[in-house]
Amino acid sequence: MNLLPSAATLAALVKIGLLVGGLMTAAAYLVLLERWIAAWVQDRRGPNRVGIPLTKIRLFGLGQPLADGLKIILKEDFTPSGVDRVLYNAAPLVILAASLAIFAAIPFGSVLPPLGIPGLPDPVPFLVAPGLDVGVLWVFALSSIAVYGVLLGGWASNNKYGFLGGLRSSAQLVAYEIPLGLGLLGVVLAAGSLRLDTIMNAQAESGVWYAFAQPLGFIVFMVASFAEAARLPFDLPEAEQELVGGYHTEYSGIKLLLFLVAEFLHMITAAFLIVILFLGGWHLWGVTGSSQEIGWIQALLRFGILSGKILGVIVFFMLVRWSWPRFRFDQLMNLAWKVMLPLGLVNLVTVATVEEFRPQLVAALGPGFAAAVAIALPWIACLVGWLVAGVFTPSGTDNTPILTHDPLDIERELAEHERLERSPRNLSPTLVGSR
Amino acid sequence: MDPVAATTLPIPGLLLAGSVAALAASLWLLLPKTSDTVNSRRLGFLFGAAALIGFAATGRSLGGVGADAVFLTVAGISVISGLATIVTRSPVYSAIWFAMALAGVSGVLLVLGAQFLGVATIVVYAGAILVMFLFVLMLAQPSGMAPYDRVSNEPMLAAAAGAVLLGLLTLSIGRLSAAEPPACCRLPSRAQAMAAAPTEGVGSEDDRSATLLAPATAGVERVDADEVAHLGAELFGRHLFAVEVAGVLLLVALVGSIAVVSRGEATETDHRRESR
Repeated sequence: MNLLPSAATLAALVKIGLLVGGLMTAAAYLVLLERWIAAWVQDRRGPNRVGIPLTKIRLFGLGQPLADGLKIILKEDFTPSGVDRVLYNAAPLVILAASLAIFAAIPFGSVLPPLGIPGLPDPVPFLVAPGLDVGVLWVFALSSIAVYGVLLGGWASNNKYGFLGGLRSSAQLVAYEIPLGLGLLGVVLAAGSLRLDTIMNAQAESGVWYAFAQPLGFIVFMVASFAEAARLPFDLPEAEQELVGGYHTEYSGIKLLLFLVAEFLHMITAAFLIVILFLGGWHLWGVTGSSQEIGWIQALLRFGILSGKILGVIVFFMLVRWSWPRFRFDQLMNLAWKVMLPLGLVNLVTVATVEEFRPQLVAALGPGFAAAVAIALPWIACLVGWLVAGVFTPSGTDNTPILTHDPLDIERELAEHERLERSPRNLSPTLVGSR
Repeated sequence: MDPVAATTLPIPGLLLAGSVAALAASLWLLLPKTSDTVNSRRLGFLFGAAALIGFAATGRSLGGVGADAVFLTVAGISVISGLATIVTRSPVYSAIWFAMALAGVSGVLLVLGAQFLGVATIVVYAGAILVMFLFVLMLAQPSGMAPYDRVSNEPMLAAAAGAVLLGLLTLSIGRLSAAEPPACCRLPSRAQAMAAAPTEGVGSEDDRSATLLAPATAGVERVDADEVAHLGAELFGRHLFAVEVAGVLLLVALVGSIAVVSRGEATETDHRRESR
């Protein structure tokens, strides 16, 4: 048995190293970007002082992540009394490990031209596990493992705010996995593969990004991935005004850092998925060439374009943070189950219909006109679905009580009042629900 | 597997019987009971280790167990986590050990090349069902539960039944692998992964594990690229009726549970009954 790692294993290790290093650095600098954007939105200056240590060079505040990281690592790692120590310590590790392992299946570029190293397949894909046939499902599986970190962290820290944050978070993540999956299914159906690189190549081949071919799926997926990343309109798991810090209230020092990095990784994952699935991945019309062209220029160009798109989506995430107020929890659930789920189903049915009858369309109308129809139909479905959702589900914005009896029935009110006096902790049975 | 063993029963019967007995004793000692002492649990761990070694030896004599380090790791994780699931007293820890067991099983499936099943196990069981379990368990405050809720109901019967079942499974798998040429020993898992679709060109296990870590070779690529499509074609072709029936049953259960829940809430009389 040969104990030396093969060239392929070494290549995978190099990719893992690049990816983890890049992601960690990106997470640190995205925090700085987030603070800059927050400052810009709020008309402040933001962090602009920290530069090269021990000099007076400021560099626009680019040294800030170093200072922040050093500070949070050197803070006291305090464990409150009454915690479940094993789970308390395991939770940050679980969430960070799961968030990093997701990237095994996510391509971060196109392909490198053949390097001529024996044992390596040529061309070399920008992907840690190119043999994984179920990349999309892998991403789902690992992001559902990350829920454990949140839930256990909240429960183990023996704190009611942490516990409430953990419960909220798990309910939210489980609920929004369904619209997320429905938005995704349309893309999988159109591309005919669960592999993320194949999905990118399909968009590059046709030149039609799935955001244009499936606008409704794009909207549903985008909203659901905001919720999955727990970014601001959906940041109920750690709503500061209500829960102090949510599931990581009791954490400090490096464990808190692990949680925060994992949160940022979730946002980066969401941005990767949005770009890869709906915004064409590395493809840009007239610049990147077709997926058959393999050269160093193309490889670098595609890597740059993919990174640029991802940065754009992340900036959008950060702008949204300062543009929308947080949902109430019932609004959150209404949006998931009453709006996003039906819209996702509409998108899926539309895409399935278009894909099923595409050969007949091409035969009847010719390829050009058929493509136009195949794009127009989902747009019509999107408009109609959005209108219907907007008109018929003004859901969850009004929580005035629904009265089950005549409000002028004084005797009943009196009897009710008396009953409540006797048992003050009972909620009034007249308030049976929200409109 | 040596040819002599293939003609006769390939398992040493005494070894298997001993392992089964040790497993039963270990399970009985380890299952949460009211009369547990530290020493009985220690003895249980001892018996458990003996049973594991016994079963491993039995498996070796079957010849079907790969010596792949990755396989042994994930298999060990799933077996030990499975044991821990039933012997832990805290329900929350039980659920977490169960999640670990599922992760191990998923790892076994991935090593065997059944990527879809492996990942689907995590998505469906660990990701959705078990999170719901944990959710409820955590709300139910496990530390406040009565002692009789935290012990197993029939430790002796459960231990005996589990051990005998495992022994019988080992025996039948041994007979199966004795009846077939060694090259097919790995086929059942592969075939299971493809929902019993007969496939040509099954790669070796080393190739399978290599696909997870490293770029695939061309041969493996071909088989894997077909896997999900094969599974889908089987499910929605040959087994379409079963899938539809399962879907309808699930829908009925869903509607039924909502009906049961909402009936308790909406009527006035129920509120009076609660307040009394």
